Amino acid sequence: MAQGFLSLILHAHLPYVRHPEHQYSLEEKWLYEALTECYIPILIALEIMKNDGVNFRLTFSLSPTLLAMMEDPLLRERYARYLERLQNLARLEEERTAGDTDFAPLARLYREHFDAAAGYYHRFGGRLVNAFRSLAEENLIEVITSASTHAYLPLLQVQPESVYAQAANAVQYYTALFGEPPRGIWLPECAYYQGLENYLGELGVQYFITATHGVLYASPRPKYGVYSPILTPAGVAAFGRDPETSKQVWSSQEGYPGDYDYREFYRDIAYDLPLDYIGPHLHPPGMRSDSGIKYYRITRAGLAYKEPYRPEQAREKAAQHAGNFMFNREQQVKYLASIMGRPPIVVSPYDAELFGHWWFEGPQWLEYLCRKIAYDQGDVKMITPGEYLDLGYPLQLCTPNPSSWGDKGHNEVWLNGTNDWIYRHLHRAAEEMIGLATEHPAAEGLLKRALNQAARELFLAQSSDWPFIMSSGTMVEYAHRRITGHLVRFRVLSRQIRGGAIDEGWLKRLEETDNLYPHIDYRLFQSLETTVPREMSVV
Amino acid sequence: MINLQPDDLNRGESLPHYYGVDRLVVLPRDPYCLYTYWEVSLPTRESLKNEWGEAAWQGARLQLRVHKHDWNREEIVESFFDVTLETETDNWYLPALDSDRVYHTELGWRLPDGDFKPVLRSNAVRTPRDGLSDIIDEEWQLPDWKARRLFRRISLYHLSSPELFRRRKQRQ
Repeated sequence: MAQGFLSLILHAHLPYVRHPEHQYSLEEKWLYEALTECYIPILIALEIMKNDGVNFRLTFSLSPTLLAMMEDPLLRERYARYLERLQNLARLEEERTAGDTDFAPLARLYREHFDAAAGYYHRFGGRLVNAFRSLAEENLIEVITSASTHAYLPLLQVQPESVYAQAANAVQYYTALFGEPPRGIWLPECAYYQGLENYLGELGVQYFITATHGVLYASPRPKYGVYSPILTPAGVAAFGRDPETSKQVWSSQEGYPGDYDYREFYRDIAYDLPLDYIGPHLHPPGMRSDSGIKYYRITRAGLAYKEPYRPEQAREKAAQHAGNFMFNREQQVKYLASIMGRPPIVVSPYDAELFGHWWFEGPQWLEYLCRKIAYDQGDVKMITPGEYLDLGYPLQLCTPNPSSWGDKGHNEVWLNGTNDWIYRHLHRAAEEMIGLATEHPAAEGLLKRALNQAARELFLAQSSDWPFIMSSGTMVEYAHRRITGHLVRFRVLSRQIRGGAIDEGWLKRLEETDNLYPHIDYRLFQSLETTVPREMSVV
Repeated sequence: MINLQPDDLNRGESLPHYYGVDRLVVLPRDPYCLYTYWEVSLPTRESLKNEWGEAAWQGARLQLRVHKHDWNREEIVESFFDVTLETETDNWYLPALDSDRVYHTELGWRLPDGDFKPVLRSNAVRTPRDGLSDIIDEEWQLPDWKARRLFRRISLYHLSSPELFRRRKQRQ
């Protein structure tokens, strides 16, 4: 009998970076890299475990923008070609390094890696959503949703219509893809404000996840801290992040990914090899940017000298680290169970993009961890938040504390001197959208298309990614261009709608470019004062 | 990079800095700091100038009045302080506040005779708590997860929008 539970949650998100106007877009490459290095390797590891009969449980939050990109025919087509180029490059590398005891095995490793990714991808016809869906149907994973464009909800709270629309469209989109509504929602950046739960409850959402101090500092004081979910007055449960497990994986000093035997991320062949050789295989061709093929290990932090990567040594470390992680969880749940009198749940959310991209061995670590927990001990059991709720423990009624998992634990990353100017514009556009949606409760034809497109442009402008990028200081110009672009398009649409002069040709081009959520319903933005919640039938 | 679609979907437009509206918004940054931004439209400025007279308008200082509400009874303002701003300022961070308190602000002008004239009032926000709650009451509940009810907001179908707008206006 397990003494406690571990809930690993992988949050997978990328902003909507579809750029049909460019043959090669650096931003689209974020998606291609994440697919090749993170999502597909993780899915392959899960499939192997499934076939081996390993009883594991993971939770995936798949952001609606990521799902929309995974489903997009143009991006699927482009990704298939991207993978082909990578496979070709890896074959060339095998030839180039032939006979080299250090590098030939590594070139082969990458070739096999890319071939496996391509094989898996094509087996699902490029529809990775179906891969997730089939694992969910086997009850091995639980998939939850997030806000439609990963909006930072506390900074939109002055217009609850925005918050409602962000959540409602996400729930609808998820339901269309997965055949049933999501049980949980990942609040972008774990960002919570008081009152948010009311809209989630209306949408049938049963739980969300907060930063540690979201639950720990809830009121009344939660008896079990973050080791049991709390129940908000709206009837939606909140799970708090366990601080111990996040540090073990995340911390740049103490975290596993910094181990010297692991692969070095910053040493890519794209920068080491002559441009006339490597150039044609890069994305875009001729421009030095990461290829994903990296032959060195971290060796020692801060040292320019790097030793060749030794995959077996790294694999051994991944297994050790998984064992260490499991051992610590055993101690943790035994101790917590002894003082709590009920099985604790340790909730460990991570960015999925950490696994495989930055931390090359991350998917291996994950697989080792799942296997070890299944076979090597009996104190800890993996569980999803939904399954935990099904156990039927009474939950303490508390209101979470406003918080996020960003630097300093609150809103500063998304609200500081580099990005605060955006809120004036975002709020103004939302006000306009609410007005338009409320004034047109039953638009048809061209008007309806224009209103739906206005909702898409506003959603895209609301992504938390743009203020985050502005804070981080890299790619700032891109974030500026995106947010102002969507807001300008929104403004022109709004003017055309109000003036009764919709430019259909231009609207069509917008629909083709900013094309996410084909079944979007602009009425989700209707004023909350003039709408009432009505029960919907569940698909 | 090859541009496949060189036409400008933004139609050569850019964002305006101001929207010609009167607005004062407060957003929480952390337990001790709020961010506030505002816009006072030209017509409003004109009417204030007419009301107060040219000399008073010219000598008036832009001020932000920060109201702290009672911890328990949120409808009551416990105290306030004023921040004097440069005339052209349109946003401000308010540091050194209390955690777990409701605040709202007023934007106005301090006239040369010392009188503070509030012009705009903001929304109210509560700063986050920065520690464990002092309330230790325990109430436990078994959530009913079987009921899988999903709601969608819809317009009150029997009312036309002009009617709704009239009703909203009446309420305001």
